[in-house]
Parts: sequence; structure tokens; C-alpha cells
Amino acid sequence: MVTFFMFLLPAVLSFVIVIIVPFIFGVYYSFTDWNAMTGGADVNFVGFANYAAVFNDPRFLHSFLVTVAFAVINIIVVNVVAFSLALLVTNKLKLVGLYRAAFFMPHLIGGIILGYIWQFIFNSAITQVGSNLGIGFLATSLLGHSQWALLAIVLVVVWQNAGFFMMIYVAAIQSAPAELIEAAQIDGATYLQRVRNIIMPLVAPAFTVAMFLTLVRSFQQFDVNMALTAGGPAGMFMGQAIPTTELLALNIYNTAFTVRQLAQGQARAVVFFVTLALVALIQVYFNKRKELEM
Amino acid sequence: MSKKIFMLLLTLIGALAIFAACGNDQAGDQDVEITLINNKVEIDGALRDFARLYEEMFGVRVNIHSFGGETPYAPSLAALLAGGDEPEIFVFEGMTDFLAAQAGGRVLDMSDQPWVNDTSMEFRYNGRVYGFPVALEGWGLGYNTRILREAGIDPATLTNVNAIRNAFETIDAMRDELGLVSVVSMAAGPGMTWVTGLHGTNAYLSLGLAYEDTRIIDMLNNGQVDEQRLLYFAEYYNLLFQFANPSTMLVGGFDDQIGDFATERTAFIHQGNWIDPVFEEWGVNFEMGYVPHAFLPTNVNGIFVGAPSWYLVNPRSDNHEAALAFLQFMAGSPEGHRYMVVYAGAVPAFYSVPYSPAGPLSRAVTEWSARGAVYAWHQNDMPAGFGMDTLGPIYELMASGAIDAAEFARLFTNAVAALN
Amino acid sequence: MKNQLKMYALEIVAILVLIIYMLPFVIVLINSAKPVLDIIVDPLALPEDPARIFTNIEAVMASQVVRYTSSFISSSIITIISVFALVIISSMAAWVLVRTKSTLSTVIFMIFVAAMVIPFQVVMFPLVSWFHRIEVFTGLINTPFRLLQNYPGIILAYMGFGTPLSIFLYHGFIKGIPLELEEAAKIDGCSSAKTFFSIVFPVLKPITVTVMILNGIWIWNDFLLPLMVLGTGNAVQTIPLAVQHFVGSFVRRWDLILTTTLMGMLPVVIIFIFLQKYIIKGMVDGAVKG
Repeated sequence: MVTFFMFLLPAVLSFVIVIIVPFIFGVYYSFTDWNAMTGGADVNFVGFANYAAVFNDPRFLHSFLVTVAFAVINIIVVNVVAFSLALLVTNKLKLVGLYRAAFFMPHLIGGIILGYIWQFIFNSAITQVGSNLGIGFLATSLLGHSQWALLAIVLVVVWQNAGFFMMIYVAAIQSAPAELIEAAQIDGATYLQRVRNIIMPLVAPAFTVAMFLTLVRSFQQFDVNMALTAGGPAGMFMGQAIPTTELLALNIYNTAFTVRQLAQGQARAVVFFVTLALVALIQVYFNKRKELEM
Repeated sequence: MSKKIFMLLLTLIGALAIFAACGNDQAGDQDVEITLINNKVEIDGALRDFARLYEEMFGVRVNIHSFGGETPYAPSLAALLAGGDEPEIFVFEGMTDFLAAQAGGRVLDMSDQPWVNDTSMEFRYNGRVYGFPVALEGWGLGYNTRILREAGIDPATLTNVNAIRNAFETIDAMRDELGLVSVVSMAAGPGMTWVTGLHGTNAYLSLGLAYEDTRIIDMLNNGQVDEQRLLYFAEYYNLLFQFANPSTMLVGGFDDQIGDFATERTAFIHQGNWIDPVFEEWGVNFEMGYVPHAFLPTNVNGIFVGAPSWYLVNPRSDNHEAALAFLQFMAGSPEGHRYMVVYAGAVPAFYSVPYSPAGPLSRAVTEWSARGAVYAWHQNDMPAGFGMDTLGPIYELMASGAIDAAEFARLFTNAVAALN
Repeated sequence: MKNQLKMYALEIVAILVLIIYMLPFVIVLINSAKPVLDIIVDPLALPEDPARIFTNIEAVMASQVVRYTSSFISSSIITIISVFALVIISSMAAWVLVRTKSTLSTVIFMIFVAAMVIPFQVVMFPLVSWFHRIEVFTGLINTPFRLLQNYPGIILAYMGFGTPLSIFLYHGFIKGIPLELEEAAKIDGCSSAKTFFSIVFPVLKPITVTVMILNGIWIWNDFLLPLMVLGTGNAVQTIPLAVQHFVGSFVRRWDLILTTTLMGMLPVVIIFIFLQKYIIKGMVDGAVKG
């Protein structure tokens, strides 16, 4: 028992100091008029005022919906691409080491920098190609249309993350006993049959982990969003002009710093947390059930 | 990983730690030290040099912290204050920032300072002085002198909206001949809402009014608009948008916008004199000037000139007396004057400064102010984020053609009404 | 024969995907060697004078704001110490959590996992003011060991934010290790600490590599947390904060931003290429065994 606590202590202590205590403060501040500029000491309790304001803001509601849409698309695309790449690089290819390294590489770079680079590519490079080739659709930047701008964020995030999740799937696929696959080959199973009946069940636990991680990362997406689209382009929602690709994390950031309403930002963050926690719980529950069925 | 690599990494950490420790040496036994928080990375070098000079002369160390980037000034400052730091001097950008700082007990009354009589741009609240003007900045509709001459247009005549519309149409008809991509270089995209939502809106707030006239901004803060004026304003911005290069305007950044003008592919630009350093860096050297953003059918004569930000002295800091002395030196000494104009490239906010800036647009701002042909800056007196966050997307919608001027005015009116 | 053909086709597909994947890097590279106006006029053109990249690198090295060398050292210190600390504390915690079968250990583990969904935005400001309270309370504030704007605070922050995922990964891996070795050690009279460090920890090598890589990449590139805890323009500054400086209040110095980007990426890419074999093997061995 002594060992138990001694071994746990450093991790639990840093976890409590860094996450739990600030989290409790954070929830508390969301019920006050807290503002870092005014010193932090003199805060007044305001009840649910911040929360009422949150749910009356069309911009926040839109941000919420867009985040859900983004998360759904992103979870699917990242995992499909990552799994396909994993299937590709578990074949006996000549340059397999190079492929794995190269697909992993974008994950080494921070999202802010990636966002700027891709903004540059969408606005300057692709439009240049579009007008050189006379493709009208590409000659204007995709970042100028709401739906395309959202997909542009997906594209960049997939490019950044697929290689990482590919590794997780590679690990799972390689844990398949070679005899099993060979036996299937001798039985004359087609490639697709083998993927469906042997590989998929093997990677089911990996799916659960990867889906959970992509879910959390999609909801918390901030860097690429801020650097790539900054929330734009503008659109109409509930009779108000709003930025159409402002994901929740960016919305909270803007509330806190551009509009300078820190307590209001805290309230949004708490709403955000509750949603994410619920979704994650449901998702893990269903994935675990699926895993057992397979 | 093998043991060898592990040991190597451990040694590396040790070496780095020692290395880093050496870098943190303090300069010795100075008693007084002050800290200034600057929000313009562009003048960081000049400011540091000036601080070093000040230390050599008076033995007071001045630490300069520059926050830059897209928006990090606000979070960096907030984090600093939340972390218990009390810098002696920091920048604020308008009424909202001021009120927050005041609520935190972080503003010192500077009404008795000698430089107050040497400027008209100090920040006042209830008659008392709380802000030291960092510089003067100004903007109108920037033009390329050569292109206007070749199109046969006299900039002096561009003082009402009809003259501007005619000029735009004339130049647009000659676009190929003049080698232009568009008549105006404009930005209205998501990262550029400071151009439209803030600076653009200021035209509505102050054009044609006396410098002290706060009628329109007061109405706005009370949730009301001047309907006729707003409609004229909306039509003028729609005009600017229609004659702009859509790709630069909707998805381009600051560089794209300046780039079009700097490569002489547009005749006009909606930007202020703060773009002068970019011209210098890029080696751009052609004649240019400003005409008013004349959105009214009646004649107006003036551009927007004001102080974009002020230094405040924080009474909760340890050495606020030393901070006052530092600001006095900046405003009242030949060294300070040289720093402001020659090294930082600013248009000075103080009468007694004998230098004028070298940049072409800064020169134009100086000329307009010398004639007294100036309108006020009120955009920083709107609630924080209102211009950029709330109005910005409305401008963008009109720029993209999704709404017309009348709809713009309606959305603008609704947004203002929600402020009440 | 038919199989051979199939493999060639697959190889070609892989090479095509590889080229698409690498294009953005190529664009960064060619534009790092251009002056700003050339970038704006034609971003796809090859640089007229490739040696320009050295001019740009010199400009970055000389910048007082970026302080590349010192930022690089700070980034290295923070990343290396945080990663090692995370490895030690998380593996220890995960081991006892797996090996002690009790409701308490299940609950503790679930709390760690649940914390992964706490958005950083909820805690970032309270964290800073709370750290300040600790500094004042303990009297650390006027010592070289103060938390904010300094190494101890940011490293502690990474230890806290990094533990949930690291424990989660170690937990999954340890579950799959047979007990026999540890039991043998216990019979031999080894203390728990000795058992863990000399017997269990070496077995964890694959997952340790994964944990190191994951946390290393995250910490090296992180932006918002150092912005909060360190601030910009202070003695301790990381590379991403330095890059952000080049974005300036208004102008984007693409030439210098891309060059700084390249210089920020380079060390990570070099380490990655150098240790690639271990990393990929470690990731594959350790990634998901849960």
C-alpha cells in the first residue's frame, strides 16, 4: 500500500496542481464577473448570467454546430485515410521505411505553422495553378467559401494527423499472426475478404483508441483553425452576420481576448467541456460494444 | 533506446542547463528597474536601443517586452497581470482597455506632467490625463500619384462621393492601359476585420465632423444610428468593394493588399501610414498621397489622424516615479525625439519634436495635420471587439456580394441596437 | 507473376501518395529562398538565387526578438526535462495502477482518462493566477526557482497536462506483460522500487519510446501553454513563440516566417531521421497493445 501511494504521488500531485485545481477555479469563475485585467481578487458572483448569454448568442450556437460537423467529418476522414495508409505500408514494398517516415512527418510540425503554410498554398499556390490551367473553380481561393473552407481545415488536419494514426493501425495489423493470413490466402480469400474478416477484428481495439483520440482532438482543434481561416468567411445565421468556420476553441479564445470577456469565455469553455465529456463517453461505450461483437 | 543514447541525452540536459544559467546573469547592483510592455514588434529594436541609451545616461534599467503576432498582445498582457506582474508602463488601445485597467487600480493621473501641454493627443477621462500618446497615425484613401496623373485625375478634386465614383469609373475603363488588376486595393477577409470593422467604421463615426464632436459615437454606444449617414457610408464601402480585386479582398492578407498597391497594380489603397516600413523594406519608391474617405455627397476635407495607443503608468508597480521620468525624457529630450521619429519612424504626437518622418504616407499624414485638416479616431471607443468581431463579418458579406448596401445598413443598425 | 505486377502497381500508388504528401514541404523550401515581393508575385516559381536562403537564415539568427540560439536552448531544456519527467512519473503510476487490483486504482485511472476531455481553454487562465498564488505562498517568487516566466512552471505544467495520455498508454501496455518476472524478483527479495526500475521499466521500452515521441512532438510545437506560462519577450522563450514574433502586429514576413519555420522543423526532422528506426519500431511495438 505504501508503494502504491509513493509511486502514484508524483503523477497525481502534478495532475492535481496543474489540471484539477485550475479546473475548479475555472468552473467557479464562470459564475462570476471575473476579469484578469481588473486584478482577479475582486470578483462578484453573478449566478447563471454568463450561461444565459452563451445560449443567446447565435455566433456561439453556430460555432457549436460547425464544431460538431467538423468533428464528424474529421473523425471519419482521418481514420479512413490512416487505415488505408496503414494497409498500404504493411505490404512488402521496396521503400516501405521511407513511406512510413514521410507520412509521419507532417505530425512533427506545429499547427500554427502548418496553418500559415496551407493558407499560403490555398490562397496563392492553388489559385495560381487554377488560373494557369483555366479552371475557374480553383482560380478563386477555396477559403472564400464556407463549406470548402471547413473542408480545407479537415484536409490540413488529416494531412497533419493521418500519419500518426497510421502508426497505431500498423501496430495492430502487424500483431496479426502471419499463419492466419497465409492460411486465409491459401483458402483463396480475396484481399477485401481478408481485410474484412481478419484485419478489421484485429484492429478493433486500435479503432477505439484512435476514434477517442481523434474525437478529443477534433473538438479541441484550435491552432490550424486560427492560422488557416481565422473563422472566415462570413455568413448569415439566425439573422446575424457571423464567421462560418469558427470552431469552439477559437470562439472561446475570441470571447476572452478580442471581446475581453474572460468570465463569459470560462462559461463557454465549461459548456464545451460538458458536451465533449458526454460525446466521448457515448462513443467509447459504443466502440467497446462493437469490439466485442467483432 | 540504448543506454548510451540515454546517457548522451542526460549529459546534454546538464550542459544546456549550465549554458542557460550563464545567460541569465544580471547586470549588477542596480536599484531601480522599470518594465515597459510594447504592443508593436516593428519598433522593438528601436525601443530597446533607446532603453539602453537611457540606462547609460541615468543608470535606470528599462526592460522592454514586446508582444506581437496576430492577437497575442491581449492574452499576453492578461496572463502577465493574472500572474501577479505589475509592469511600470504598458500600452492600452482605447476606452474599454482603459476602463478595465482603471477598475484594476492600474492608472496613474498624469495631468501634472510637463508633456501634457506639448500635445493634443493625450488620453483624457473626466478631464484628467491618463495616457501618454505613443505616436500619431493617420489614414485616408491612399493613391498612386503617377497613375492618377496618367488617368487625368486631380486628387485635390476628390472631396465628395460623386467625384470619387467618377474617378473610379474613369480609371477602371483604362485598367489595361495602366496595367492594373483593380482600381482599389482593399481587404475585408476574416483576418483583416481591423481594416473594415475598425478603421472603416471610423469613417462613419467621424468624417466631416469637428474633432471634438462625439455625436455619432455617443449614439452608437447608446444603440442608435444616423440612418441617412449610415446609408451614404454603406454605399461608399460598396463602391470600394466593387472596384477591388476580389481574391485579394476576400481571402488575402495584409501583404497581398499592400503587395497589389506596392507593385503599382492598383491606383488606391485603404490603409494608414503604418505601412511605410513595408515600402522601405520592399524597396518601393514611388510618389503617393492621401485623399479623404469622402462618402458624403457634400464636400469634406480631411483624413483620420489620432493616437492609436497610449502608455499608462501603473501605480501598483514598484517604480512608477522612475517610469514618469522615463516618459518625460522620451517626450522632452532631443534623444527621445530622435528615437520616436528617426528610429521608430513614427509621426510624433508632440509639437516640440523637430523631425519629420521619411516614409511617403507618414509625410502625407504630417501635411494634412499641419493644415489642421483632420478628423478624429473614435473606433477604439466602441465596445471591445464590436468593430472587428460583430461588424467585420457584415462588411465581408457585402464585399462578397451576398448583401447590398441597404441590407448592410440594416444589419449594421441591428448590431448597434443590440449594444443597448 | 500476377502478384509481382500487383506489387509494382502498389509501389507506384505509394510513390504518388508520397509526392502529394511532400508537396507542401517543397513549397516551404522554395519560398524560403526568396525575397518577400517574389513570394507574393509568384509563389510557385523556383527561386532566382537559391543562396538567398542563407541571407534569410542570417537575418533570423541576427534577430533580437527571435533570439534563435537562446530560444532553441530553452525549447530543448523544456522538452527534454518534461519528457523524461513524464516518462518516469507516468510509468510508475501506471504500473501500480495495473498491479493493484482495487476500486481505488480503477477510479484513479478513470479520472486520469476523463481529464483528457478537459479543454485547455477552461484551465488556462486560472492556471496562471493559481501558479502565481503558489509562488507568493511558498516565497518562490523572488528566487530563481519561481514558476511563471521560468522553467519550473512550464515543466510542471507539462507534467500535469501530459500525465493522462501517458498513463493511459502505459496502462494499456503493462496490462499485456506477464507477471512472472516481477513475482520472481519479489521472491528474491527485491524492493518494489528495485523491481520496477531494474525489471519492469526495461520491458516497457517500446511504449516508452512512443510516450517520448508523442510528448516530445507536442511540447516542442506547443503554442498556447507557453504563451500563458512564459509570456513572450522574457528570458525563457520557446521556438513557436519566437516564430509568432515574425508574424508581427500586421505584416507577415513570409520570407522570414518560412525560414524560421524551416529552422524550427529542422532539429525535429533530423532527430526523427536519425532515430527513425527506433521510433517507428517503438511506435509499432508500443502503440496499442491494450
